[in-house]
Amino acid sequence: MYAVFVIFLPFIMAALLPPVHRLIGDRLIGWYVMAVPLILFAALVRLIPRIADGEIVSASYAWIPDAGIDLAVRIDGLGMIFALLITGVGTLVALYSIYYLSPRESLGHFYVYLLLFMGAMLGVVFSDNLMLLYTFWELTSISSFLLIAFWYHRKGSRYGAQKAMLITVMGGVSMLAGFLMLYFMTGTFSISEIIGMRESLSGAPLLIPAMVLILLGAFTKSVQFPFHIWLPDAMEAPTPVSAYLHSATMVKAGIYLVALFTPLFGGLESWFWSLSIAGIVTLLWGAFNAMKQNDLKALLAYSTISQLGLIMSLLGFGSVALSESAAGDPTAYAAAGFAAFFYLLNHSTFKGLLFMVVGIVDHEIGTRDIRRLGGLMSFMPVTFTFAVIGSFSMAGLPPFNGFLSKEMFFGAAVDVASGQPFAGGAEVLFPVVGWLASVFTFVYCTIIVYRTFLGPSQPEKIDRVPHEAPKGMLVAPGILAALVIVIFFFPNVVGKYVIGPAMSVMFPELSRQADLVPKIEAWHGFNLPLLMTFGVIALGLLLFITFRHWKKVYRVAPFRWTMDSIYRSMLGAGEAGSTILTDLYMTGRSRDYFAFIYLFFLVTVGGMLFLTGAFDPDFTRGPVGIFEISFVIIMAFAAIAMLFVRSRITATLLNGVLGYSVAIFFVFFRAPDLALTQTVIETVTTVLFLLCFHFLPEWKPEDSPLRTKVVNGIIAVGAGTLVTAFGLTVQGYDVYESISGYFEDSYKLAGGSNIVNAILGDFRAFDTMLEVVVLFIAGIGVYTLIALKPKKGGDDVEGK
Amino acid sequence: MEFHMIILVGILVTVAVYLLLSRNMIRIILGTAVLSHAVHLLLITMGGAGEGGVPLLRESDGPYADALPQALILTAIVISFATTAFLLVLAYRTYEESGSDNMNTIRRIDRE
Amino acid sequence: MTNLLLFPILIPILTASVLLFFPKRIAAQRAVTVVGLVASIIAALFLLRTVMTDGVQAVTLGSWPAPFGISMVSDPLSVSLVLTSLLITLGVVVYSFRSIGEGREKYFYYPAILFMLTGINGSFTTGDIFNLFVFFEVLLLASYLLIVLGGEKRQLRESIKYILVNVVSSAFFVTTVAMLYSVVGSLNMADIAEKVTEIGQSGILTVIAVMLILVFGLKGAIFPLYFWLPGSYAAPPVPVLALFGALLTKVGVYAIIRTVTLLFPHDPGFTHELLMILAILTVIAGCIGALAYYDLKQIVIYNIIIAVGVILFGVAQMNMAGLEGAVFYLIHDMLIKAGLFMLIGVIIAITGTSNLREMGGLMKTYPGLAWTWLVAAFGLAGIPPLSGFFGKLLIVQGAFEADNLWGGIIILASSLIVLLSVIRIFIHAFWGEPMPVKGTSAGIYRGLLIPAVLVTALTVFYGVGTEWLRPLMWDAAEILHQPSIYIDAVLKE
Repeated sequence: MYAVFVIFLPFIMAALLPPVHRLIGDRLIGWYVMAVPLILFAALVRLIPRIADGEIVSASYAWIPDAGIDLAVRIDGLGMIFALLITGVGTLVALYSIYYLSPRESLGHFYVYLLLFMGAMLGVVFSDNLMLLYTFWELTSISSFLLIAFWYHRKGSRYGAQKAMLITVMGGVSMLAGFLMLYFMTGTFSISEIIGMRESLSGAPLLIPAMVLILLGAFTKSVQFPFHIWLPDAMEAPTPVSAYLHSATMVKAGIYLVALFTPLFGGLESWFWSLSIAGIVTLLWGAFNAMKQNDLKALLAYSTISQLGLIMSLLGFGSVALSESAAGDPTAYAAAGFAAFFYLLNHSTFKGLLFMVVGIVDHEIGTRDIRRLGGLMSFMPVTFTFAVIGSFSMAGLPPFNGFLSKEMFFGAAVDVASGQPFAGGAEVLFPVVGWLASVFTFVYCTIIVYRTFLGPSQPEKIDRVPHEAPKGMLVAPGILAALVIVIFFFPNVVGKYVIGPAMSVMFPELSRQADLVPKIEAWHGFNLPLLMTFGVIALGLLLFITFRHWKKVYRVAPFRWTMDSIYRSMLGAGEAGSTILTDLYMTGRSRDYFAFIYLFFLVTVGGMLFLTGAFDPDFTRGPVGIFEISFVIIMAFAAIAMLFVRSRITATLLNGVLGYSVAIFFVFFRAPDLALTQTVIETVTTVLFLLCFHFLPEWKPEDSPLRTKVVNGIIAVGAGTLVTAFGLTVQGYDVYESISGYFEDSYKLAGGSNIVNAILGDFRAFDTMLEVVVLFIAGIGVYTLIALKPKKGGDDVEGK
Repeated sequence: MEFHMIILVGILVTVAVYLLLSRNMIRIILGTAVLSHAVHLLLITMGGAGEGGVPLLRESDGPYADALPQALILTAIVISFATTAFLLVLAYRTYEESGSDNMNTIRRIDRE
Repeated sequence: MTNLLLFPILIPILTASVLLFFPKRIAAQRAVTVVGLVASIIAALFLLRTVMTDGVQAVTLGSWPAPFGISMVSDPLSVSLVLTSLLITLGVVVYSFRSIGEGREKYFYYPAILFMLTGINGSFTTGDIFNLFVFFEVLLLASYLLIVLGGEKRQLRESIKYILVNVVSSAFFVTTVAMLYSVVGSLNMADIAEKVTEIGQSGILTVIAVMLILVFGLKGAIFPLYFWLPGSYAAPPVPVLALFGALLTKVGVYAIIRTVTLLFPHDPGFTHELLMILAILTVIAGCIGALAYYDLKQIVIYNIIIAVGVILFGVAQMNMAGLEGAVFYLIHDMLIKAGLFMLIGVIIAITGTSNLREMGGLMKTYPGLAWTWLVAAFGLAGIPPLSGFFGKLLIVQGAFEADNLWGGIIILASSLIVLLSVIRIFIHAFWGEPMPVKGTSAGIYRGLLIPAVLVTALTVFYGVGTEWLRPLMWDAAEILHQPSIYIDAVLKE
């Protein structure tokens, strides 16, 4: 119950928001919203000791039980880390946005979306059912879509929102396919049950496809290369949203997913390589691109991409601990997993802080373009201090928490490189590339601080007089800045109470055998990671100073390539291609309509006739009278003549000949009623034809090109031949006595001596009644066609 | 004994389809008329045509021709008459509105 | 009371006949139509309850023994389709009050709808293949009347093609009935099914099955037989489009379902394989079309085609998951398409255009419309827990069980294109800079929006209430999976 309450409180509060908003007004609504994450955060913090003891709080309610879909919720150590981020950062972001957003904005919408997101995100990390998780997963994409386009009158916002949604929903759908494969293999959607089947699943043929599909979901959400392209465009969202969704929480859902499935897939070689390579490439590409950005938010977006890559690669390194073939000590590899969580927490603090700093700059100065900024330190000393704390932590300098986690990353990368768990050889590159990316990170951290707050002031390029932000706006970043420092000094509290429980979820068996929580120390002697940090500072400073000189490389392929252009051209080509393709066959010509129908008839029915081996014409002939033969010949001639006559009147009369001949055949076939009806109907039809022609122009000879005529001829002859072949074949299959023997007793049954009439009037009277209805509707139709016409120059129609 | 009938139906279908593939509205409508003749002939042929006597109980003692297909054809004839009548009036109105009896020009020109 | 199953067919036809006596009195026309529909809905609800408690209902008209008279059969699938059609029609009729215009209302608009409904409900209920043809003709004639009603130029030029295609398709239908009767000597579908099971499905019967797929595929708009649909559906006014889009193709789909599950289930190597390939091609072709246009109507119309493919793909799996998913998805799609068409009708009424490029910024002035559209769009794309989700989920499960891995993945991938196509409408019409619009009165806006919202709300309940609907859907799928239940109910009544 408790667990369900945690997820649904934000939704309930979102539903109540509009009336509350009306009641308390714009000034207080932000506080109402802030209360939600604050209450939840407090509730979760109270749970920490129990979770740290290995307890799992869970609840399950039936939703669609037969299909295995339940509202199953489970709070364990892994979900807890993420939930603390969601509620903790959530509180701070809500507080910050109270000061950030002007009351002129549609605050109601903003806060509803924000609460929806919060609930969805908590749902993702607490679901114990794959379908529930998927539901919340898509809901995070949707709320992100709405938040990105909060200022929907801007073109960039709309573009960014659509792009983010398309890419993340694509990942979501592929994740769903992966989930369904898991269900197919295990027969359950329960995550804990599936994880428990690790042993029996190994070697299942669908395991690797399922893994790939699930990873696609994780990679799109957690902006791994090449799916990272949506994040920079998502920066169109208001800055609190960027800080919250697009750096601290939603983009970490992919990380959560990978951690969640590590007990299942961890140890597979393909899992290790997928995560490590995707992570390392993303790390480098993100850092490299961050350096060239002029927009501070875009810079932070690329840095987020880069750091999510870093975390992803750490999870890859850590998964080796579950491999049987892993050389060396599994606990040593598991330390990489620990580093991943530690980095995840630290990243949320320093990146959240930096986003808020950039938000303040944007809010107070009116721009976040570093080409127009500079020298703000003296105007905004507090903000400047925050920027320094955040940037130095991100660059991996002491005394900030980023230093600790970066050192751990270097350590883990070196361990993998030296351990060569899968003997691939490429592991050696990991520490090298990681180190290079850290150098880039150092460079762009320096750019943030230097180009914004130091250097020459450029008042002519900004519209406003720079000044410090209002106090309220500084509270939230202040708390984050404090955390950045506090965690540096007391990392092991976090390690024991927050990360430890998550480690025992990710490595359930290993954690029973050994303590997976390493002691974090700021000072651990002169080892390789520390030397690497020195190298980062030295080379980083050098690159920063010479930045102007080597900036040109961004104009050289492959460095100027952006994955974004591929997305744009794919979308564009998709639309253009569809239009061309559709126009090609949707001609709107009736001739093409019929050609399609008869070609389909020839291909499928004709094909089936031969494929099934059914074609078996029955050429047996009974006695044929001379009258019959002559009428067959008459009809054949009349029909063929219709194709060649020049006058429509002649053609109509020939059609009449056909009709009357049909009546005569009905006589041959012992069907007097039919013959009578046919004669009457044919007469009326012919009169109608002639009447109608009175109003229509004389027909001209068909002037289609010869090629069309030949194709038409082939189709026509093909259709005729196929009908004949089909009919002859059916002749040979009189398997069953017809049911109509029954009707011969009609006299007794229905009191009629004419069997046909008995059938029409009694046995199948319903058909006859409906037939009358059809005639009737046609009559009304004819009447309305003539009487009801469009009004001249109006929308409506009018009767005569 | 239905061999010749089925061949005839094949010829009628050929003619009908060729007419349907025309441009001229009237040719197309005539095509539908020929097609319905072909179908009715096929229906009675398939129902074991010509075997047995007229299905009138007073006229003979049987065996009778299969009466069921006859009933079906009767329904089908009436329905196709209703459709044809509607189609003819529609053709007249279409010509009146668009001024053309060429089905290739009577199509979506405006690209929505 | 076994005649109960006739009520949803007979009440509309009687109501329509009554309406013919006073065509010019619009208020009376509206009132009588609504009363007739409500009565039919009540009858259908009773029927649903009876079918759920007492099993399949069958009655052979005129009290003749089963294969000789015309049998009407109501199983969970047909009664749900009948009820859904009635509900949608009621919604569209109320929607028409404010949109169809007095001119059409005075010229048999409501009787035509009721006649068409008779044809539709009859097609869903009949157990006789020739009677199915006759009901098809009833609904077709009524649809001819509706598509030309008003006689606008665009209507005329599209409807003549629509009618010609259907005339040809009817000719195919009668031909196929002739062939079928010649081989098995019966018209009663249960009787045919039993005989086919006895003699085994020889090659010629498989060919006949393919003929039926062709005939119904033309109505149901499967690849490559859907080419007539986008043009002709876009011609009539929006309420008619909503009825056509929600109901007409589904009759074809329903008939295909009966063909491959009841009449000819024995040779899946040919029939079901063919159906599956066609279904996948239908989905792909629909997706291409949905991206090709910036016209509201066309985008949603191509989504009909996608849905037809998805449903038939589920049917082609021939396992419980696939069939149940198909039934779920079929009814979802009827409701959601009705809702979507009604909503685009509101947009067109406001902006005076159906071209996406000429609209924008409606979010500010028409927020209710915007949110309803967004919910409907997500429902269409199958975002859980909305209505499209569960059916598609089961269909893909069915595909995995039947070893059609790639097919399942294509079906899932199509959701993305569906989402893109309808979200594009949201982004262009509701976001962005406001454009000058024709505008409409508050009364008309409300009169159009309320029925549209109600139908959309129905889809939301359909999605959220999946658990309550499951017994019904399960029973429906079980009969498709084991046609003997159906056959026994008809032949041994």
